[in-house]
Amino acid sequence: MSILLNKNTRVLVQGITGRAGRVQTKFMLEYGTNIVAGVTPGKGGEVVEGVPVYNTPQEAVEKHRAEASVFFVPPAGVKEAAIQNIDAGIKLIVVVTEHIPVHDVMEIREYAMDKDVRIIGPTSPGIITVGEAKMGIMPGRMFTPGRIGLISRSGTLSYEVSGNLAKAGYGQSTVVGIGADPVVFTNLPDILRLFEKDPDTDLVVIVGEVGGVQEESAAEFIDRWMTKPVVAYITGLTAPESKKMGHAGAIIHGEYGKGTSQGKVAALKEVGVDVARFPAEVVELVKKRLQTA
Amino acid sequence: MKLFEFEGNRIFRNEGIPVPDFALASTPEEAASRAQEMGLPVMVKAQVLTGGRWLAGGVVLADNLDKVRDEADRILGMKISGFPVKQVMIAPKVDSVREFYAGVTIDEYRGNPLVILSAEGGVSINQIAANRPESVVTRPVAISEGLLPSMAKQMCHEVGLRGKELTKVATILVSLYSVFRKYDALVAEINPLVQTLSGEFIALDAKIEIDDSSLFRHADLNLSIESRITNPLELKGKQIGVTYVELDGDVAVIASGAGLGMASVDIINQKLKPANFLETGGAITADLMYKVMDLVLQKKGVRAVFINVYGGINPIHEGAKGVVKYIQEHNVTIPIVAKALGNHQEETWEIFRSAGVHVVTDVATETAVEKLVEVLEGKA
Repeated sequence: MSILLNKNTRVLVQGITGRAGRVQTKFMLEYGTNIVAGVTPGKGGEVVEGVPVYNTPQEAVEKHRAEASVFFVPPAGVKEAAIQNIDAGIKLIVVVTEHIPVHDVMEIREYAMDKDVRIIGPTSPGIITVGEAKMGIMPGRMFTPGRIGLISRSGTLSYEVSGNLAKAGYGQSTVVGIGADPVVFTNLPDILRLFEKDPDTDLVVIVGEVGGVQEESAAEFIDRWMTKPVVAYITGLTAPESKKMGHAGAIIHGEYGKGTSQGKVAALKEVGVDVARFPAEVVELVKKRLQTA
Repeated sequence: MKLFEFEGNRIFRNEGIPVPDFALASTPEEAASRAQEMGLPVMVKAQVLTGGRWLAGGVVLADNLDKVRDEADRILGMKISGFPVKQVMIAPKVDSVREFYAGVTIDEYRGNPLVILSAEGGVSINQIAANRPESVVTRPVAISEGLLPSMAKQMCHEVGLRGKELTKVATILVSLYSVFRKYDALVAEINPLVQTLSGEFIALDAKIEIDDSSLFRHADLNLSIESRITNPLELKGKQIGVTYVELDGDVAVIASGAGLGMASVDIINQKLKPANFLETGGAITADLMYKVMDLVLQKKGVRAVFINVYGGINPIHEGAKGVVKYIQEHNVTIPIVAKALGNHQEETWEIFRSAGVHVVTDVATETAVEKLVEVLEGKA
């Protein structure tokens, strides 16, 4: 089972003819992803890695019943592509693209919500249902099949924590990178809800970082709704105040006093979540929780 | 990107939000002549990209030309929260009877614009919200609909405005919302919005921050990053397309993601001191990594480089070539420890090793930092 994505999901690659689109299509196919079509406006008729390319998502949906779409589209083109994909009937979209204007993100988010479409991202490493399929850029070798669900705001740390867990013998069911922009299409608690319901997941790991209120909101959700154990790791404990540490979300608003790593750790601990200070420490906490569960 | 008050004023004026007359000066003499043209008394206001100008003495009233000159001289030599003042604004003094706060920002978690109005103004909205929460009215806006005049009027009503005053402030609020949308703002704020003796409403300050990812749509504003970033290394980072934050240690850090970069800094901080935070995002090439090496080594006293990269979207084997080219061309002798995993990892390790880089193949960044400590202590 797992969440969001499995080996049968019919995936289209939006922006398949670009550099990243081509390379990542190859990796996704090698991993076992059921890629049925690619889309690049004006490149219909081409074939990339054996995958037929169409001009519009509409054609890909009509000819191949594509149901999910992964985006390798430049920032300025994401809004139009998203609306086309949603209008074509795609139900799951993963946006890998970084640096999308936040006003576009807000517009896409509202449009997708109205049409009941799940979008993950932006600046997302993607979704990997380990051993079955992946949509995005996650290097498959970092993951091992198992029963831990992982949600990360950071792409690179989703690899690091999964790799640490795998080395210690704890595989993952599905790993979801929600992205760390200030506004994301799908918030952390929405993914927690999916893992809570997933029969193939026993424990959930949250990888968070400074900025925003995703982790604080996750704490509220966990307190009310989660029966499965949750372990967290929050990075940026020593990040200086009011500095943008990379993606736009990772900023401590000194003047607001919200979104600090310390505040997130406290909020999660208060609802019984074990919180690691460093990535490798996650393994110890997972071990402890699974033994007592 | 934050805008200076004068830049915000220009935008407000273009969008129909009343602002006072204003002029800019970068010398005391210039300030005095602008004040003379405008008529006394005037306000002399530091143009810096930070709040707290009043408290720092960066905004003063001057009722004669000598005072304008003296104050301009003093303010132009100031630093406010680390930002040097390069220009002052000269503006007529406005007599206000009431101060309001008006702002549009983003509710990040809910992903929609948020309009804020308060019958209190002058201090920061967080202070207002903390001290007089009942004076603050907020309204989430559906981005496809925008701020409807009826909603703006309702907000004005809720803060106690009536009649013509209500209509005037509602109009300003709707214009402020269109500034927010048109300029891809993260924040568009008027604080204070003052009511004058004659019953007019004027924006006495303009705070606009534009989303960096949207700057390509606003080339016409000619916003130079040079005048906004005071740290030369952070500026250089921006110019080559990476995020560099200077820290006070001596171990340079290069990471292929913000999360990994922060984790590296957190872990290094346990035993050593990071010289910087640097993240490349997903744009690694050999050329970029060459420039990144050059950047982190510009900081004086750096005694080691810690590289932590994943091959997800990034071709790390290409990146390694850039690092090695830099090491060889510049005869870098300080120790370099690199952890590189993911697609093309074996090839990457080989390239790094060819230039004497200490390669760590374990997944834990903690292990790589231990290696770094050993190398620096001469044990490896």
